[in-house]
Amino acid sequence: MAVARKRLADYGLRSERLLWPAKGPGVFEREVEQLEERLMLTTLERAIAWAQTKSMWPDTFGLACCAIEMMSIVSSRYDIARFGMEAFRASPRQADLLIVSGRVVHKMAAPLRQIYDQMLEPKWVIAMGACASSGGMFNNYTTLQGVDKIVPVDIHVPGCPPRPEALMEGIVRLHEKVQAGVPPAYEIRGVAE
Amino acid sequence: MSYAGVPGLVESREAHGETTLVVDPARLVEAAEHLRDELGFNFLSDVSSVDYLGWSDEPVAGSWGDSSGRDLNSPGSWGLARRPAPKPKRFAVNYHLLRLVSGAREAPRVRMQVWVDDAELVPSVVGVWPTADWHEREVFDMMGIRFSGHPNLVRILMDDDWEGHPLRKDYPIGGEPVRFSGEE
Amino acid sequence: MAIAPERPRIYEGSRIPSPIPSVLLVPDELRKTDDILEVNFGPNHPSTHGVLRLVVELDGERVVGLRAVIGYLHTGFEKSMESKTWWKAIPYAPRMDYLSFQANELAFVMAVEKLLGIEVPPKAVWMRMLLCELNRVHSHLVWLGTSALELGAISPFWYTFRERDRILDLFEMVGGARMHTRYFQVGGLAEDIPSGFFGECRRFCEVMPGAVDQYEQLLDQNEIWLKRTKGVGLLSAEDAIALGQSGPVLRGSGVDWDLRKASPYLAYDQVEFDVPVKRNGDVWDRYKVHMDEMRESTRIVAQALEGMPGGAWIADDRKVVLPPREELHTSMESLIHHFKLVTEGFRVPEGEVYVAVESPRGEFGCYLCSDGGPRPWRVRFRAPSFVALEATATLMRDALIADMIAAVGSLDTVMGECDR
Repeated sequence: MAVARKRLADYGLRSERLLWPAKGPGVFEREVEQLEERLMLTTLERAIAWAQTKSMWPDTFGLACCAIEMMSIVSSRYDIARFGMEAFRASPRQADLLIVSGRVVHKMAAPLRQIYDQMLEPKWVIAMGACASSGGMFNNYTTLQGVDKIVPVDIHVPGCPPRPEALMEGIVRLHEKVQAGVPPAYEIRGVAE
Repeated sequence: MSYAGVPGLVESREAHGETTLVVDPARLVEAAEHLRDELGFNFLSDVSSVDYLGWSDEPVAGSWGDSSGRDLNSPGSWGLARRPAPKPKRFAVNYHLLRLVSGAREAPRVRMQVWVDDAELVPSVVGVWPTADWHEREVFDMMGIRFSGHPNLVRILMDDDWEGHPLRKDYPIGGEPVRFSGEE
Repeated sequence: MAIAPERPRIYEGSRIPSPIPSVLLVPDELRKTDDILEVNFGPNHPSTHGVLRLVVELDGERVVGLRAVIGYLHTGFEKSMESKTWWKAIPYAPRMDYLSFQANELAFVMAVEKLLGIEVPPKAVWMRMLLCELNRVHSHLVWLGTSALELGAISPFWYTFRERDRILDLFEMVGGARMHTRYFQVGGLAEDIPSGFFGECRRFCEVMPGAVDQYEQLLDQNEIWLKRTKGVGLLSAEDAIALGQSGPVLRGSGVDWDLRKASPYLAYDQVEFDVPVKRNGDVWDRYKVHMDEMRESTRIVAQALEGMPGGAWIADDRKVVLPPREELHTSMESLIHHFKLVTEGFRVPEGEVYVAVESPRGEFGCYLCSDGGPRPWRVRFRAPSFVALEATATLMRDALIADMIAAVGSLDTVMGECDR
């Protein structure tokens, strides 16, 4: 007897690409299609995913201008404490989420990778801003063209710098991913070429 | 303000309200001490280096000139293609000085300029203005100009084992070619 | 008041370490005792402003060796700007000192205008001054919030960021973006001032002085704040000038020097404001200078609102500035100018200039060298944070490790402009 395969939308993962069938599948959909067999979450796993989402503590990894907008989501207008994330931990051992905010240069790449390695699993990475996602306006000898060259990234947030609301959208999408059962990026993909 | 007494003075130029004193590199420290002690320029704002490799190679078509020469109604007033005048040597090191007096309502500035070629040494002025320490390290890191007498001439902005001097004109901008999604 | 302990006040003579002015070296006899612990305050640290690395050698709690390592944010601004046209190079400038973005834009744009010999209309001049003063308030607010946070005072952070969001709303109104608005254009402003701006700005000016009083209420009587800032991080006037310091660091050490008064640019000679100067050269005095500067900047903004002239917001030189869009329908020359400016860009005559403005951190200078072509030949930015970090070793003579956070924080460094 064939079991009806559930789609991501049934798990509560909302994305406009799923609701826009005319657009072809992007990288995310193709890789998630391979995962959909793995997404049969038990109640316990769903509960754990809910708990992980509701208190995902970020690591203080503010580098440049995006860090100032990251600080402003901690402030009272764009309160991130409503997501349980106001506890920015300085020690990577205590953090779940690495928000790389700012341009990463070659000199800083080694400390970034070291911080990422020191974080305990499960861990997620948000590449905040154009510089972290792809090098931004700095296509030169010293800037890493995207932080996904050295760490696997879950969410890219565009903007230069992204508005605090844009970063919150990225965080909310990450929460949706986790609650839908999508594994963190280091299980699905490695680093970009 | 008379700069005639500055030791090693080769040339003095005025442009855009700024005075540039071209000084012989061999007598740079003497000139620096004279400017600080006799003429009162006690504040070193900045040490900038410029690489003039390829300066007169390309003709610059239609340089607009100053605002009096840019006439809206006569299109030819911006002149024909010409090359800028060649420079004496490859590198120029500019020292921007300021006379800083507490409570003063004037800020006299002067630019001291030395010209060197690749692999020529420039005497360090750390003894005259201690702030030159990191500025000269940055000039060494970015342009490869060495300063003799500097107590700690190591790289400051790039990695310690970086090869090459990035701001030289023969150093490529680097980075990656931009891929467009229509290509694949 | 007898709360603060007996700490030394400003010193005589010079305490710049020798032979290297920016490095505190451990004396040999101390190194032989084998008691020195070398600690790395790495680039990722909650209490250093941005990606600064300090290699500190400790004898117990006393700092006996100190070396600052920078370059963890060196993004190659100067080389990138050499490969872009004059117009396209402007967005690079605000991303250096990312707390007071328009001061950077101002220095670059003023340098280009000086080489071009272009005259900026009065409305643009006054609006630039207004926005630069708002940037000063913004920068000091973020400085206060984060410095207090580093010393353990968490509450001021929320209060300062409340006012900061109001300032960013004003920037969003004029420039479309909260930060890095790129509102300054060569010749004036990029667009006219929107109609709701003056009312909102006036409301902000009414609120701000009360807010500064609120921050002082939180901190000034606090015994921990007083103990951690009075007598810490001493820098004498003579050493400050020798080390090239400017801005609040210089004014906290007793030197009355502000480029807005000494060599006025924009319309600073037409507004009334005072320059706060304190005598003791410690962290407390620099903190007080920052607070008073916030009040003075609000005064300047209020005067600029009243005195804002009308008229054009950008110069009329069509070789450099885009013509207004209505003219494109009727005038052939305007169409050609528009086409040339958008595709090729304008050209700046051959020459070199150095323009310095008073950014919230001190003297921010732009040295520009042009070969007469469409792109800059050499752009060099003199960043006050770069120079401020050279003074770390002098500030930390005979100090404890806990004082280092207060002292380095009071230098108000932004690593984006330090490393460029």
